[in-house]
Amino acid sequence: MLEQQLVNGFTLGLIYALIAVGYTMVYGVIELINFAHGEIYMLGAFLTLSFISMGLPLPLAVLLAMLAAAAIGVLLDIIAYRPLREAPRLAALITAIGMSIFLQNLAMIIWGSRPLPFPKQALPAFFSEPALTFSDVTISWMQVIIYAVALLLMVGLNLIITRTRVGTAMRALAQNQTAAALMGINVNRVISFTFALGSAMGAMAGIMVSMYYNTMYPTMGYLAGVKAFAAAVLGGIGSVPGAMLGGVVLGIAETLGAGYVSSPYRDGVAYAVMILVIIFRPSGLLGRAVTEKA
Amino acid sequence: MRGAAHTLKYLLLAAALAYPLLPFRDVYVLHVLVLIMVYMVLAMGLNILPGFCGLLDLGFVGFYGIGAYTAGLLTIHYNMSFWLIVPLAVLNGALFGVLLGAPTLRLVGDYFAIVTFGFSELVVLFLTNEIWLTRGPLGIPGIAPISLDVTWLATLLGVDERWRYAFRGEVPYYYLAMVMVALVFLVMTRVEDSRLGRAWLAIREDPMAAASCGVNLFAYKVIAFAVSTGIGALAGAFLARWTLFISPDMFKFWESFLVLCMVVLGGLGNIRGALVGSAILIALGEVLRVALPKLGLPAETRFLAYGLIMVVIMRFRPHGLFTQVAESTMQSGLIKDLRARIAARRTA
Repeated sequence: MLEQQLVNGFTLGLIYALIAVGYTMVYGVIELINFAHGEIYMLGAFLTLSFISMGLPLPLAVLLAMLAAAAIGVLLDIIAYRPLREAPRLAALITAIGMSIFLQNLAMIIWGSRPLPFPKQALPAFFSEPALTFSDVTISWMQVIIYAVALLLMVGLNLIITRTRVGTAMRALAQNQTAAALMGINVNRVISFTFALGSAMGAMAGIMVSMYYNTMYPTMGYLAGVKAFAAAVLGGIGSVPGAMLGGVVLGIAETLGAGYVSSPYRDGVAYAVMILVIIFRPSGLLGRAVTEKA
Repeated sequence: MRGAAHTLKYLLLAAALAYPLLPFRDVYVLHVLVLIMVYMVLAMGLNILPGFCGLLDLGFVGFYGIGAYTAGLLTIHYNMSFWLIVPLAVLNGALFGVLLGAPTLRLVGDYFAIVTFGFSELVVLFLTNEIWLTRGPLGIPGIAPISLDVTWLATLLGVDERWRYAFRGEVPYYYLAMVMVALVFLVMTRVEDSRLGRAWLAIREDPMAAASCGVNLFAYKVIAFAVSTGIGALAGAFLARWTLFISPDMFKFWESFLVLCMVVLGGLGNIRGALVGSAILIALGEVLRVALPKLGLPAETRFLAYGLIMVVIMRFRPHGLFTQVAESTMQSGLIKDLRARIAARRTA
């Protein structure tokens, strides 16, 4: 029983980690809580659905959805956030919430407010079958795929951040935007790249969740977004490995909390973790100590 | 120009006072007007934090819910009079405000916003799951309406009658809401120009400068939080005894956002603006609620409009639509002199 809970919690945690990475990267470079990130996750699922219903094969649909989500993320930044770089931070945060609500309702208009199932016929039949079985623990193929994709994406992301020029530019921006600009870094382009990267990963998380639970609905990004944000805070906002760790820890904590403490308060675990971490250890598990810049 | 604005103001007030007594009054319109006034109180309460102190509170609705459930439960279980419940609900709201505020007000910026957000979500979870206390998602129906019992006055005057007036329909609530709005408005405008209000504005403009001028940041922030949450709970108590039904769904995050929209629309820190913002957004919401289904869209999509409004306002007026300078500042000799000189230069 415990082992199965751990397996399920780990799956959920990887999903949170994929979303949390987007929050933490954007926060790292422009110090903005991108509230609309949860909506990108939701759009990933719905876009895949639409591409599949156009008759595209699954891998192509997923790839296109990720690209489209990345484009939406970049547009979001250019349209909504870029004009507010010099404005009070309150303004940017309110704008982010406004965009989140806007995108959520837009999805409701386009796809309707009722939950839709993931098109089963597009998925290979073996997805829902168990891949591995130890005594009483089963890991389905879907879970194996989530593990593989999530780990692949995270390793890839780490390589981008630590080994490429644009990754170096991102880290420079996170440290000091003015100094980075003086070194010849095109600040806006790097920020756009950050949004694209984070959005693509968030969309992938949305796609895999809609396959895993076989459902998608326009408000799914709200709760997932909040929890992923809690994960990012837990890991130390601004730290990419922290977001990954935070996601996994939160996923496991939530599943165990629901299983052993109180299942109605399942969603409360994320809120409680978020509040406690912010009050007692604002730098999170792996973050560096943050001081507010006025 | 100023005289005309004054006349218009009194005309509007007279119209508002007279409307429920007119023969062509409409129950639906009255209901919407009362709702607007409830939101006016909420907006004035929320305004204290982002408007005066520069702290983004995303969990305001949690205290609205605490006020409503305090009033609802006290009515159901102890059949307590509304006039006794109001101070209790306000105190309870303020108590939770201080409990949440004391550890979190040291946080600044986004972290504070996130903690308040998490708190209000926890309140909703609590209301949904603690069925023994709140009946959970079913909500609390059958809350008694407000009644005004002044039999004691009759006894005092030696009249042997029961002077008891039960609130029925929208009209008495309409007037009570008006009194509530007027009282909160009066208190807020007085506070804005007081030592307390000036300390809040100083904290908003530059916390470090304020602290070095001797403003106790923490104490003033806790007071701001307590006052704000108390006003939220006041609106909640009124809501419970007006709609006579409360459920956890009424206190979701979107309500917080809606109230924030009103404050931002009116101009952060502008009390009159908060009133205008509430009237505009509730009226807009009612219009969209009727109009959207006719276009074949679910009524909830009216939030799309709210989201867009916020984005557009923030894009072009990051301090809100109508920013305002405190009345006392405008009365200062220096400013008066400056204004007179600018006016003189214009005419010259």
